[in-house]
Amino acid sequence: MPKSAQSGPGADIAAALYARSGAAAYGVSAEQFAAILDEILRKYLPQTSARASAEQKADFCAGLRLEELALACACAAGNERAWQDFVSRYRQKLHSMALHITRDGAHAAELADSLFADLYGVNARDGVRSSKLASYTGRGSLEGWLRTVMAQEFINRYRKQKRTVSLEEQTEEGVQFVAAVPEPACTSGRTSDQRLEAATDEALAELSSEDRFTLASYYLDGRTLAEIARTLGLHESSVSRRLDRLATGLRKRILAGLRTQGLSHAQASEALETDVRDLRLNLRSRLTQDSGAKTFPEGKVPAQDAGEGSHD
Amino acid sequence: MTEVPKIVPTIVPPIVYDRLRAASSPERALPERTGPEQAHPDADLLTAFAEQSLSATERDGVLEHLALCGNCREVIALALPAASIAAAPVATETEAVRATPILAKDEKRGGLASRVFAWPSLPWAALAAGVAVAASVLLLHPGKLNQATLPPANRPVVTTAQPIPGPQIASSPLPPPMAAAATDQPAEAPRTEARLKPELRLSKKFKAGQVVTPSLQAESEMLAENKIADNKKDSKEAGKVPTASSAGARLLDYNASAIPRSNEAVEVTAESPIVQAEVSSEDRPMARNGAPAIAKAKPVPQAETSQQQNTTSATVGELPLQSRNRVSMAKAAAPPPSPTRARAVTWTVTAGVLQRSLDSGQSWQNALRSDHPLLCYASHDEDVWTGGQAGTLFHSGNSGITWVQVQPSIKGQALSSDITHIDLREDLREDVRGDVRGPAEIVVSTSNNEIWRSADGGKTWEKK
Repeated sequence: MPKSAQSGPGADIAAALYARSGAAAYGVSAEQFAAILDEILRKYLPQTSARASAEQKADFCAGLRLEELALACACAAGNERAWQDFVSRYRQKLHSMALHITRDGAHAAELADSLFADLYGVNARDGVRSSKLASYTGRGSLEGWLRTVMAQEFINRYRKQKRTVSLEEQTEEGVQFVAAVPEPACTSGRTSDQRLEAATDEALAELSSEDRFTLASYYLDGRTLAEIARTLGLHESSVSRRLDRLATGLRKRILAGLRTQGLSHAQASEALETDVRDLRLNLRSRLTQDSGAKTFPEGKVPAQDAGEGSHD
Repeated sequence: MTEVPKIVPTIVPPIVYDRLRAASSPERALPERTGPEQAHPDADLLTAFAEQSLSATERDGVLEHLALCGNCREVIALALPAASIAAAPVATETEAVRATPILAKDEKRGGLASRVFAWPSLPWAALAAGVAVAASVLLLHPGKLNQATLPPANRPVVTTAQPIPGPQIASSPLPPPMAAAATDQPAEAPRTEARLKPELRLSKKFKAGQVVTPSLQAESEMLAENKIADNKKDSKEAGKVPTASSAGARLLDYNASAIPRSNEAVEVTAESPIVQAEVSSEDRPMARNGAPAIAKAKPVPQAETSQQQNTTSATVGELPLQSRNRVSMAKAAAPPPSPTRARAVTWTVTAGVLQRSLDSGQSWQNALRSDHPLLCYASHDEDVWTGGQAGTLFHSGNSGITWVQVQPSIKGQALSSDITHIDLREDLREDVRGDVRGPAEIVVSTSNNEIWRSADGGKTWEKK
């Protein structure tokens, strides 16, 4: 590609990108398309925008899904033909995506339809139809983006519903107490806990973000090895080995951390094996014994925790 | 979560769970939701991350966020493409045992696996079935085919010929005694099918990778599809296949004969949710116990189930004849969902007409057209509500087979403005997948900003 030293991608490159995108067919002019690319560049290469070489920008733009970007922009701009193409390509996919996400026909239809409305831009803002498709930047595939947006919508909706339910019911169930008790609330007499927590936090902080993501996905979210592997672009067996390595490594590092804080090896091992949450919950329930409503939800928590702890 | 200990023997110390959870607890994640644009990576970045098309630095940034944000991790997991989830577990042999529960789960959740296996594999399934039939004929009768071997080969035909009158009877008007007989048969169908399913699944589990088992699975899928399209054609097929008289072909044959009746079972039970619940709850345990050969078991369960069916329909207060007549009407209107697909009914409103899809959006049929254009709908399991202009409101308790017009009114004042939105308020449980209880309340919003609600299925209303 020819080099150029302009602020946006060079004129030649811009023209090539424009031709590749097929935006002309949807009535998006070269200037409009260049402006869109400029905006995307500003968004994703903010720190380098001033100094980034044209090559860097051109590489970045060439890595975008230009054709799908053009379609999305044209749809957002209200081009009839683009919208027809979008509908024929994605309308049915939206329904199957929604079904995959919700696993329920009724909810799937609602989710797909509401997203479809958002994409079309029913929500008029200042009299202008604003389509969600305008926010698509072509970093990933349009189909993948639709799936992600739908998953976000689903989770938002679920969280909303969950929150309304919990607001209504929390008073009678005393749930708000659990949420309202942050860890500092029970600091008294927890020195070994604090040391253990500190050592664990330290050990976790030393891990790479990918390792922490893997741990959280596997142990907190209960994702399968296959799911994690696909998210990270690895093979399942690599994820399995990594988790093995992480678990042994963490144990070693936490033990080492505890010993630097003055615990003997035996004490450190013991501290590591004890489920601190049991201790803390015992403490909590002792502190809150006077109120029946408060102890109720905590009765449920240790039962679950004890189950997890017993694996060890 | 339950799978966790099996796969990775090394368990992290409990404190690690604790600190991980503390780091990404919802209390910490939720406030960020108020400004999602700033706090969370946008959908583009998440998509590009999942598609492995981010630069190293960007990827690190996203991972850093994901390690702490359970919401975004969930988004990523939910947005994984559907097809490869089903394909991935089968890939490695060591995962075969885990693969089967995942597939079974998917089938329960709405037939992801069945969707994957259903259509694309049809030509192969047909080919494989043909090869299987030819091979078994050659194996059993390597020499001459047409001579003294006929009587034994015919025997399976006799047993399976019995169900053939079933579908035919069901689609024609009948005198009451025969109608009772027709309603008897469907009740038996889920049993035979339910008994067959474990066999198929077992073979899938233990012979994963062999050509025969997937083709059986796919074949049964194909037959199921054909059944829906044309019962008569299938009864012919059912007669054809057993001449092969191989074990595999017999399996198919039973399945084929079970399916048409299972369809009817759905129709009859779809008449009323109560009937369906009772029939299924009575049938399932028995089906699991039932080990005897199907041909032998047939006469007995028919008598039993006819009683069950009669009692259940009696409890609902419907005569068998009435319910059957309505069923045949419904049948003429639209093919009913097969049991495995019953959950995949999706709805949409297009140009004032309510449309229904039984194949998760592949094809749509008009389900309801009213004098006034319909504008919105809400559905929950078999409960469907749809509303439109001038206070038009319809309700169906059976996934749209029959509709009842509902006229909301308070003290004689009827709802007459356009209904723009219907909400079925239901209590969502903890399960993200939407395992829900029945709708507690119907909330109707109108174009003049009124909100009408009914807590008793539309009998009485209050206005806000």
